[in-house]
Amino acid sequence: MMERVTYLYPEIALFITTCIVMIVGLSRELKHRKLCAPISGLGLLAAGVLATGLVPGFHVATGAEVDPTAGQILLPNLVPYAKVLVAGVGILLLLLQAGTVDRVEEARIASGRAAFNPLRSNRAEYYAFFLFSLTGLMLCASADDLIWLFLALELTSLPTYIMVTMSTSRHSSQEAGVKYFFLGALGAAVFLYGFTLLYGATGSTNLNQIHHAIAAGGLSGLSLAGMLLALLGVCFKIAAVPMHFYTADVYQGAASSVSAFLAFVPKTAGFIAILLLASCAGWTHGAGDSLPDALRTVLWVIAALTMTVGNVLAIWQNSVKRILAYSSIAHSGYMLVGVVAGPGGGTFATSGIAAVLFYLLCYGVMNIGTFGVLACLEGRAGADGEPAEIESLDDLRGLCQRHPVLGWTMVICTLSLLGLPPLLGFFGKVPLFTSAISAGEIPLVVVLGLNSAIAAFYYLRIVGSCLLEKPETTTGIVRVTPFGSRPAGALASAAGVIVLAIFGNGFMAASEKAAAYDGGHVEKKEPRAAGVPETAPQALGPAKAEGH
Amino acid sequence: MVADMLAWVPSFAGSVAAMAQHGAEAVRGAAQEAASHGPAVEAAGAGVGGIALPGMGSKLYGLIPLLPLLGCAVCGLLAALKVKSKLPAWMTVVLLGASFILTAVMFNDVSVKGHGAPVVSHLFEWIRVHWGMGERATSLVANFAFYIDSLTCLWMLFVTGLGTLIALYASEYMSHDVGAGYCRFFAAFNLFVFSMACLVMGDNLLLLYLGWEGVGLCSYLLIGYFYKKPSAVAAAKKAFIVNRIGDLGLALGVMLAFVHFGSLEYSVIFEKAGPYIAAMKAGRLEEIPAIVQLIPVLLMVGAFGKSAQLPLYVWLPDAMEGPTPVSALIHAATMVTAGVYLVARAYPLFLLSEIALPIVAWTGALTALLAATIGMAQFDIKRIMAYSTVSQLGYMFAGLGVLTSAGAGFHVFTHAFFKAMLFLSCGAVMHGFAGQLDLRKLSGVGKVPGWRIVSMAMLVGCLNLAGFPVITAGYWSKDMILGGAFANPHMQAIGWILLVTAGLTAYYTFRVYFRVFAGPVEYEPGDELHAHGDDGHGHDGHAPEGRATTGHASEGHATSEHFHPHAPGWAINTVLAVLAVSAFAVIGLRFIGGHEGWAADMVEQSTARYEGAAAYEMAGGHAAGSGHAGASGHALFFGFDAHKAMMVVSGIVGLIGIAAAFYLHYAGRTTAARAKADALLPAMGPVAGWAQHKWYVDELYDFLIVKPLWVLSNIFHLIDKLLVDGLVNVLGWIPRAMGGVLRPSQSGLLHNYAVGMAGGIALLLLIVVLVTRS
Repeated sequence: MMERVTYLYPEIALFITTCIVMIVGLSRELKHRKLCAPISGLGLLAAGVLATGLVPGFHVATGAEVDPTAGQILLPNLVPYAKVLVAGVGILLLLLQAGTVDRVEEARIASGRAAFNPLRSNRAEYYAFFLFSLTGLMLCASADDLIWLFLALELTSLPTYIMVTMSTSRHSSQEAGVKYFFLGALGAAVFLYGFTLLYGATGSTNLNQIHHAIAAGGLSGLSLAGMLLALLGVCFKIAAVPMHFYTADVYQGAASSVSAFLAFVPKTAGFIAILLLASCAGWTHGAGDSLPDALRTVLWVIAALTMTVGNVLAIWQNSVKRILAYSSIAHSGYMLVGVVAGPGGGTFATSGIAAVLFYLLCYGVMNIGTFGVLACLEGRAGADGEPAEIESLDDLRGLCQRHPVLGWTMVICTLSLLGLPPLLGFFGKVPLFTSAISAGEIPLVVVLGLNSAIAAFYYLRIVGSCLLEKPETTTGIVRVTPFGSRPAGALASAAGVIVLAIFGNGFMAASEKAAAYDGGHVEKKEPRAAGVPETAPQALGPAKAEGH
Repeated sequence: MVADMLAWVPSFAGSVAAMAQHGAEAVRGAAQEAASHGPAVEAAGAGVGGIALPGMGSKLYGLIPLLPLLGCAVCGLLAALKVKSKLPAWMTVVLLGASFILTAVMFNDVSVKGHGAPVVSHLFEWIRVHWGMGERATSLVANFAFYIDSLTCLWMLFVTGLGTLIALYASEYMSHDVGAGYCRFFAAFNLFVFSMACLVMGDNLLLLYLGWEGVGLCSYLLIGYFYKKPSAVAAAKKAFIVNRIGDLGLALGVMLAFVHFGSLEYSVIFEKAGPYIAAMKAGRLEEIPAIVQLIPVLLMVGAFGKSAQLPLYVWLPDAMEGPTPVSALIHAATMVTAGVYLVARAYPLFLLSEIALPIVAWTGALTALLAATIGMAQFDIKRIMAYSTVSQLGYMFAGLGVLTSAGAGFHVFTHAFFKAMLFLSCGAVMHGFAGQLDLRKLSGVGKVPGWRIVSMAMLVGCLNLAGFPVITAGYWSKDMILGGAFANPHMQAIGWILLVTAGLTAYYTFRVYFRVFAGPVEYEPGDELHAHGDDGHGHDGHAPEGRATTGHASEGHATSEHFHPHAPGWAINTVLAVLAVSAFAVIGLRFIGGHEGWAADMVEQSTARYEGAAAYEMAGGHAAGSGHAGASGHALFFGFDAHKAMMVVSGIVGLIGIAAAFYLHYAGRTTAARAKADALLPAMGPVAGWAQHKWYVDELYDFLIVKPLWVLSNIFHLIDKLLVDGLVNVLGWIPRAMGGVLRPSQSGLLHNYAVGMAGGIALLLLIVVLVTRS
């Protein structure tokens, strides 16, 4: 049992932080309330450091140590990478959250028009939800059981419904929250149904044992249906076709800081879940060392449709937030290519899993930059004193002249999303291509290439607005946000886009290590592919050179 | 990340660390090679191959190109700081001087102490790309490394030496442009020396190509230095475009060499070419694949472009639009000899082809003759010098082609000095006489006070170019080529062409000297306040006019009393004096060292050595004309040994040419504009006019190539606009249309979304059912 606890040190650290934040956020003293964000940051830092396993006395157990027969040993090295990634990007996201809630209320208190009322204050619960969601995300990576996975996914998602709703006081946020909740419930129902079918087909909820059963007996009709529904349900989390409909409305309705959160946290949870489910189904069980054919076909179709739909819909938009929402859909499609490609030879260039894991980092960093710039810009204050969100492309005209730092942050991060060579997005995309090529998925690579070209259309519109056009006198931008940590977060991600492009080798190596797939430890019909690296279950070590 | 993913390591930092390791390997490798006379790789203080080199010696050679590169960067910085002084010039002189001293050290180490055994100085790993798997694994490795043998030293000595002197000259010559233009000039000047050093010193064809393009770029920048002058811009473009044709050949040659030999490094290529050379020695030419025979032909195209040979010579005369120091350094002494260097460096490859060297010889000889005939009929003295450069380059190629690479090398060396001197003298005249270059409007310059040194230098240069017997270096080097040609039984015709050319050369050279520097004192200034450009023909009415047209009463009327040519200052005079002395000094090189002198020794110690040529002899395909005493197969010249006969005959031909010039252009001449030669013009009919119009070659190219291309480009433009743009627009429209179709799905209504999700799931499940059924 003690092993189970050591497995969860990062989550426990985050949970403790959450409890502290919930109490501190309700203090009558403003200076105490203001501690919410720093405490959250410290908690994330502690969780990240603990996840590396480098802290003496806090050894992080491997799945095999937890339970040699039932522990999470399909992707044995995934846990430290995923948790460090979550903690690191979480800190960047935290920087953007300053002032998202309680802004009007705090102003009234400061001006003496109102007294502090714990019932009206949202700060404590907002940061608590933020941390809960990240906790859930970390738990996803630790999952070795369908029930655990379900609970972790829902722990990730449920707080986000509320965060969307409370992020602004406008009706559109509430509408977005409601849509998100109901459609999310539908998605959860689908994958929960899939999970039950899987249980029914294999007699177990343990991922490892499900893998055993499938490896031994192949995918029966029931288990195939279960697996398909599970994957399709989880597609809601990553905003993949056909579960993508909510994305643009929700991202647009939520405050930019929350949209940034939505684009990374549920997506990462979804991809971890998909990787775990796919590893259960077995990447080496289909013809030619791929997923079982039915699954491969479905994921192939979803990947192609997702990137295409995301990109072609983005072309029509004038709202930057909607463009970024559709781009988020498209990027999910790109990453699904890595899932289809599978572990390949196990090296960074051939492993689709490594490509997905590395791209999650890239996407997290560059996406925060774009949403972060939007979060830094404020429009006219409404009747309640809350400034309007900036989202129109026209508002960004000449941003590089008016606010050079923010403008260039936007330009760099957008170009990185486009995948322009010297930037991080390019280095993230290349392994997706190479892994798919080495897996023989040439048509999918062609679709990926075409979509990268289509994407240039709308990304360059953003860049052109910021960089080339003259500033408009009738712009909706009134001023830059007074919360200094938001520009800091945006700037940090722009810096990350450049720095990681040059010094990202450590992360590449870490993602390669995290992608080690041990799908061959059970007896199989055919010998394992020669390229799959030998990963003894106890080989779990700390991810290298990480930690923000 | 960049590095790992593309396996492309262009970084200094990593390679410094790798250098030590590489060095250790190199020592081991070289120890094995030493026995087989392979190149000695000097590394980390250990001398191998029987050469003892100082510890950091060969690494120090890296400074030879890097100092000018530093100079280029600093000039750019000075331009940014808006420095308005001669600082860029002094810095350039100092840096290039230091480079020259290092070159001298290198020469001492490699050629004198090391007897020319090649030294590879590895600076850092430049490009490393691997691809393919298993047996098809290929790697492209190009190091920033220098392959230093005597040929390298020979070239680098005059590149850095003349570079230093001409920089000093330019400090005065360009003084009217002090400021941004001055910085720009010296930045390009430094960059040129850097590129030239890369070209000459590189240990692989890619580095040579880098330098090749680099010098082309600098040439373009400097020809177009007066970028506000349309003719200069046109000349710069012409030089660049014509060179591209040659560069294409070079690029293809380099690629083919890589494809066939699997490497770009000289040492590897020559080693792998060994079996072919053996086959050729044994007379089994059929064993040499056609692809190998094609490589030198392609390289040759590149050499013809850069060194202004037929049919690509047309850019060089126009290149005289650049400032004169540029003409002297780049377009006379150094860059244009890059082609000669390439052929000499890749001589073993050229020997493998049955056609390459004969083509080189014939092209060189015909270019020499053609350019000389054009030079005879020109009036612009700088342009005459340009055609003489083309002609002399033809000589060098002919020398290479008739298998006297030593003669070619020696001629490159001597030509660099005297031609630079001739250009600098012309430049001094142009500088002093407000851009006047027309030999019909200048006379007796040597008698004008303050022009003595220029005039003396010009005389020395002319004597050299004309090949005045015995006392000039030009005579000795030209003689080697002529002797080589006549000694080769298959190349007698080339010998005759070159001999005729030698006479013509002497004539047009001294035509310039007798018209401009001797005779009655008379001059009129050019049409430029500053000595911009050289458009000697552009005498519009607004030009101040001199004594020759005193009867002409116009607004701009001026007599020579009003116009005072300003005599050259100390910098120009010093440089000319130094060059004049060194032009004589290089004669000594003919008599030190081995049988054919020092330069021949230098060439023989390099890859252009005669071993291959001797092999030719054995193969029976051609007789060697190497000039080794007692070598069998020497053809005779009317019963005499060709070399000895040529010493006399070429001297006599040169003297005849000078005498003709004396009679036609000096004796009894009383005005600048007219000489006895004019009386001959009617007798020659239209031929003189054709020669003056450069045999209408430019017009021919215009008609044959430029016009059709222009028409074609218009057609393609139309196709591009209508068809290609249309297709692209349609392609761009497709995703937009798809988006338009899908837009209604984003209705914003919750129940629609839910239905969409459920429908999508159903559809995908249906697909699975269909897939698993089939």
